[in-house]
Amino acid sequence: MTRRAIIVVAASMMLASAACAADSQIWGGMIITNIPEYGKDQSRNLGPLFTYLQGNFFRSIFLGILLGIPAVFLCHYLVFGPKVFSHDGERIYVFTLFNRIIHLLAAVSFVILVPTGFMIVFGAYLGGGALVTYARHLHGIATIVFAVSVVPMFVFWFVEMLPAMDDIKWFFMLGGYLSRKKQEVPAGKFNGGQKVWFWLATIGGLVMIVTGGAMYLQDFGLGIAGGLGMSQIDLLRLAAIVHNLLAFAVVAFFFTHVYMSLFAIKGSINSIITGYKEEDEVKHLHSSYYRKLKQVRKA
Amino acid sequence: MSNGQARMKFYCDTTRCIECFACSVACSEAHELPVGISRRKVVTMHEGIPGKEYSISIACMHCTDAPCEQVCPVDCFYIREDGIVLHDKNKCIGCGYCLYACPFGAPQFPRDGAFGTKGAMDKCTMCAGGPEETNSARERHLYGHNRIAEGKVPICAAVCATNALLVGDAEEVSTIYRKRVSSRGKGA
Repeated sequence: MTRRAIIVVAASMMLASAACAADSQIWGGMIITNIPEYGKDQSRNLGPLFTYLQGNFFRSIFLGILLGIPAVFLCHYLVFGPKVFSHDGERIYVFTLFNRIIHLLAAVSFVILVPTGFMIVFGAYLGGGALVTYARHLHGIATIVFAVSVVPMFVFWFVEMLPAMDDIKWFFMLGGYLSRKKQEVPAGKFNGGQKVWFWLATIGGLVMIVTGGAMYLQDFGLGIAGGLGMSQIDLLRLAAIVHNLLAFAVVAFFFTHVYMSLFAIKGSINSIITGYKEEDEVKHLHSSYYRKLKQVRKA
Repeated sequence: MSNGQARMKFYCDTTRCIECFACSVACSEAHELPVGISRRKVVTMHEGIPGKEYSISIACMHCTDAPCEQVCPVDCFYIREDGIVLHDKNKCIGCGYCLYACPFGAPQFPRDGAFGTKGAMDKCTMCAGGPEETNSARERHLYGHNRIAEGKVPICAAVCATNALLVGDAEEVSTIYRKRVSSRGKGA
């Protein structure tokens, strides 16, 4: 009985997909009207643009990021060395348990998303086939984990991540990272660099989910493409271009985030594990926040 | 006559196509395609509007500068010396990039994985099979009947009752079409 039910369900799903194919926006009658959208003068030319970018640049740029950014950080480490702060002072509680759990989810998803993304980009060198196909599936599954974490993360850090005057000063001195000197850096609870990463990871992350989801679903109706005044295939082309361009920035900042937390500031990774930051570290790298904490304590 | 190597092309003469779907049905039958996959399609434009209505049969056009081949992240495409564009399904990861690059909506993706994930891409092979051993059971299973290797015309053009669908060396095809246009005095 169960087996029969499964067969019935499977068969009806197959028929449903066949029915979908008949009035599909990609493979239905629009297959003809979509042709002039490719390369004709009045069209958006997204097809030729995607072909040009993916055929000539995307892979090389990803290779540049994959090798270039770690190389830059290696040089930085050798020239300026890590920032070391005293672990003897008081410890300041900065991340709640909820913060840390959500961040852990995001971290796990990124540790899967970024390497599997690179596996798809460099699939040709891995021989394609099952290995890269599973990387693509894993890329999709990890997206669900990221989607769960991104909304609460956006909400609980939103206020502290809003731009402030300190951030401009921070950018002019690049957070003091181009100096061996231990100095007080202007920053609130989060510095200018962290804020850029936050907005990129949350808003940019949502765009990555939406564009990736569009490519995963491919032939969805929903009236989204029509609502935007474009064809479904052009919407997919736009999604592919945006997903790749945004991935450059997300991956570059992800590498930076990892370098900062693991190497550039000794022991700073502990704050997202235990919730506590060393007083010496907060005093120097988040000086405005430290002063505010002191004032609150006095009052 | 063509000079040197032939470049195989399809051309559908829209003044002759009568929307009988023989090409599409014969293709699906010859290659034993799964439900939901249709390598060749017949589309009627401006249906019911006198003077404007026409039908056209469309599949992979086997482009000389095939954009699908340029964007594939796993480089699974290869273009034969005679211009037929083929791909290796064992390399394909079903990402869909070839579809975005294609002007003609030729690549299709069977939803055969768990949760309806996209499987390896499927498209018209101009009845020339794939990279597996010619006429092997494996080739037939993955890519369909290799009629070219048997010296036969692709099934879609072979069954076209009005000879609307032309296939062959690009120069031969354009010669035939030019003759038709000049004899009927319109339609170029």
